[in-house]
Amino acid sequence: MKACASSWLRFPAFALPAARCALLTALLLAPPFKTTARFFLTRAQAPPTPAIKVVNLIPASLSGESNQDSEPFLAIQNENPQVMVASAFTPNPFSMTGNAPVYVSQDGGKSWALNAITPVRHMTCDITHAMATGENHPRGDLHAGTLACASGITLDESESNDVALSATMNVQSTRGNVDQPFVRALGVSSGDRIYVGVNDFNQANGHTATIDVSVDGGSTYRSIPIEMRNTAGQDGPSVRPAVANDGTVYAAFFGWRKFNGKTATSDVVVVRDDAAATGANPFQALKDPTDKVPGVLVVKRVAIPWSNAPALGQERIGSTLSIAVDPNHSGTVYVGWADKGSKGDIYTLHARRSTDRGVTWSKTDLPHTTIHNATNVALAVANNGAVGFLYQQLSLGRWVTHLVQSHDGFMTSQDFVLATVPADQPVGKFLPYLGDYDYLLSVGNEFRGVFCANNTPDFANFPQGVTYQRAADFSAKTLNDGAGNAVPISIDPFYFSVPAIP
Amino acid sequence: MKISAVFSSSLLGASLSLALCACTNAAAPQATNNSAALISQSSIVFSGTVSQLAATSFADVPKSPQTIVVRVDSIVKKPAAVSLKKGDSVTVEVKDASGFQEGTQATFYTDGWIFGSGVAVKELGHVLGPAAESAPATRAGQNTHGAQGEISDQELRDRMNKSDFVVVGRVTDVRKWNAPKAKSGAPSRVTEHDPDWQEAVVEVQSVLKGGKVKGNKVIVRFPSRNDVAWVNSPKFTKNQRGIFCLNRDQTTGSPTTGQGANVYTCLGHGDALPISEEARVRALLTNP
Repeated sequence: MKACASSWLRFPAFALPAARCALLTALLLAPPFKTTARFFLTRAQAPPTPAIKVVNLIPASLSGESNQDSEPFLAIQNENPQVMVASAFTPNPFSMTGNAPVYVSQDGGKSWALNAITPVRHMTCDITHAMATGENHPRGDLHAGTLACASGITLDESESNDVALSATMNVQSTRGNVDQPFVRALGVSSGDRIYVGVNDFNQANGHTATIDVSVDGGSTYRSIPIEMRNTAGQDGPSVRPAVANDGTVYAAFFGWRKFNGKTATSDVVVVRDDAAATGANPFQALKDPTDKVPGVLVVKRVAIPWSNAPALGQERIGSTLSIAVDPNHSGTVYVGWADKGSKGDIYTLHARRSTDRGVTWSKTDLPHTTIHNATNVALAVANNGAVGFLYQQLSLGRWVTHLVQSHDGFMTSQDFVLATVPADQPVGKFLPYLGDYDYLLSVGNEFRGVFCANNTPDFANFPQGVTYQRAADFSAKTLNDGAGNAVPISIDPFYFSVPAIP
Repeated sequence: MKISAVFSSSLLGASLSLALCACTNAAAPQATNNSAALISQSSIVFSGTVSQLAATSFADVPKSPQTIVVRVDSIVKKPAAVSLKKGDSVTVEVKDASGFQEGTQATFYTDGWIFGSGVAVKELGHVLGPAAESAPATRAGQNTHGAQGEISDQELRDRMNKSDFVVVGRVTDVRKWNAPKAKSGAPSRVTEHDPDWQEAVVEVQSVLKGGKVKGNKVIVRFPSRNDVAWVNSPKFTKNQRGIFCLNRDQTTGSPTTGQGANVYTCLGHGDALPISEEARVRALLTNP
C-alpha cells in the first residue's frame, strides 16, 4: 500500500486525475439519448490515459450474458502480436454439450470474438495456453492445457493451427489425476517446444510437482517430476514454468512439507534447465547449497493458508505463484508468491529476484512488493528489462487491480490502478470468484495481460479508461442485452495493454 | 421454466409448420415434418432475407463461398445471452450456397459459431419462404429461450440415453461420505477441485428407465463443493423430489457401499430435474 500511495504521487498525470477527467468528460460529452435504440446500443469509451488500453472482453453479441467469467488467461502470437487468445470460465453460450470457447482478437486486443474450439464440453474447469511460432501458422499454434470436469477430471493437451477457424482443437495427449495445467511454449526452427506445469498425482512418493515437456509440437509429451525432496504427500497445486528465448527453462513450485488441512508449510522452489529440457535429466541445473538437492529454495517453510471457501473477500486462497524470466537475459528471473504473511493478514504477496540464473535470491522481498491482503500475482519482463508486477488487492471493500513496473528491482516503480471495483458484488456463483490466477505477458516493450472484475460500467472503476464491447450505459451504470432488457452485473474478463516504462 | 420452453417450442414449431405450409415457395412436406425436430436441435432459429453471398457480417468470421449474410426479419429461438434482434445482419455458414441468392427469404435452423460484434451461425437446415406474420415466432425478442442453465430436449434425450437409470424419487437423507483410505496407504489428494462428496439416499417412486431397483432405494453420491469443476452438478437436499438420471459410480473410486450395493452418481447438468418436468421426460423417453 505504501508503494501504491507513493506511486500516485510520483505519477499524478496517469492516475486519479485521469479517472476524474474521464468521468467528467464522459458526462459532458455524452449526447442525450434521443431514441430507445440509441440508448440501448450505446457503447462507451472513456478518454484513456495515452497508450493504456483496458477492454472488457465480452463481445457485443453476447450482451445478455451474466456468467461468472472468472480466472482469465492470455496467449499472444509473438510473430503476429495482433493475434491473441484469452480464456476464462466462460461457458459455451448456445449449448450445454458444445465446446467450451476462447476469446480471439485479431486486431491487437481492440475487439474480441468468442470461438468455441476447445476440446472440453461446455466449460473448462482450468485452462491455460500459449502460442508458439515454430510452425509458421500466423493464427496459431495455440497449445492449451484444459481440464474437463464433467465426471472426474481429465487433462487434455491440445493444439490449434488457426484460432480463427471453427475446428475443435486437436487433442494430442489425455490423462487424468492431475491439477492446474499451466502452459508455456517456445517456437524454434525445428518446431514448438511446450512446457506444461501440472500437479501430477500419478507421480511416486508424493513428488507431484511435474513439467510435461514436448519438444515436437505436442506430438509426444514426457512427464518430468521436478520435486526431489520429501513432501507432505504432495506439492501445492501451482507449478509454473517460464521460458527464455535462449532455451533456458525455469519452473517454480510449492514444495509442501507439512499440511494440516488449513495451512501448508511450504518451500518455494525453483528449478532450471539450460537445454530446453531436452536432456536425459532435465531441471537439475540448480542445487540448493543446504542439501545439494536439485531445486533452489527461494524461501523455506512459509505458512500458506489453504481455504476452499471464501477467505479473502469472496475469493478462496491457497496456491498463488508466478515466475518470470527476462526474455533476453536469462540470468535474471523473478518469483512471486502468496503466504500468510504477518500477523493479522489473510494473504500476503512477495516478490524476489535472482540475477545469477537462480543460484542466489534476494534475501528479503524486493522493495514495495510485500502486498497485504492480495492475490493473483503475475510477473513478466519486457524486452527492455522492465519487470511488470500484476496483482489484485482487497482494499476498503474493493478489489483493486494494480500493474506495477520497475527497472531497478522495485527501488523505484510506477503503479497503475487498472480497476477498482466493489468486492461484495456480484455474489459469487462458484469458486474461484475472480480466479486462482490472472496473467501478464510482454511483447517487445509492452505489457499485456488479463484480469477479472465486477463489470459495472462505471468510469470511476477504471482509472485508466475502459472500452466495453457489450451493451452498457455508463451514465446509468447499467448493462443491457442490446435490445433494452436489463442484464445483471457479473464478473467479466478484462484485457489490458500498458507500455513498458522506458 | 422448462414446461414453458417445451410449450413454446411446440407452439413455435406448429406455427412455423403452418406458416411453411401456407407459403408457395417450396415448403416441402418433408421440410415441414422436420421443422419441429430442427427447432429442437437448433440453438438459434430465425427468419431472414439474404443480403450478401460469399460474405460475412463482421471481421472475425472467415469468409468462404459458404458464408452468406442474412438480415434478420424475426427471431424464433435464441439463448438469452445472445444479442440478436430484427434488422441485425447475421453470418450464416450454409451447407450449400447455390440454393440462395440476394433477396432469398428463409427460416434458418442453426447452431452458434462465432460471437463478436455480430453473430455467426452454422446452418443445420433451412426452409425457404417468409415467416408468417401472425406466428408468435415473428415477435422478435419475445420468444427466446434456451437461457444459460436450461437443457434442451435434444441434450436431455442424449443424457437419458446415456443413463443407467432414470427415476422419479424423493431424497430421504443426505450425509457426508468419506472415501476409504487407499490400500497403498497413499494420502488423499488436496486440490481446489476437491468435490467433498456427500451421499443422498433416494427413495425411488417410479423407474422411467432401467430395471427394478432393489428395495426401492438408491445411494447417489454428489459433490457438495462449490468449485468450478462441480458447479453444474446437482446438489441434493433432504425431501427434494425430482427426476434423476443416474449412472453407476465411476468417479469416486469406490463404486459400492460397505454392504456391496451399487452406488450411483448424478453429476451432469440436467441430471436432476424438478418433478414438474415429468411429462416432458416421459414424452422424450416414449419418443426417442
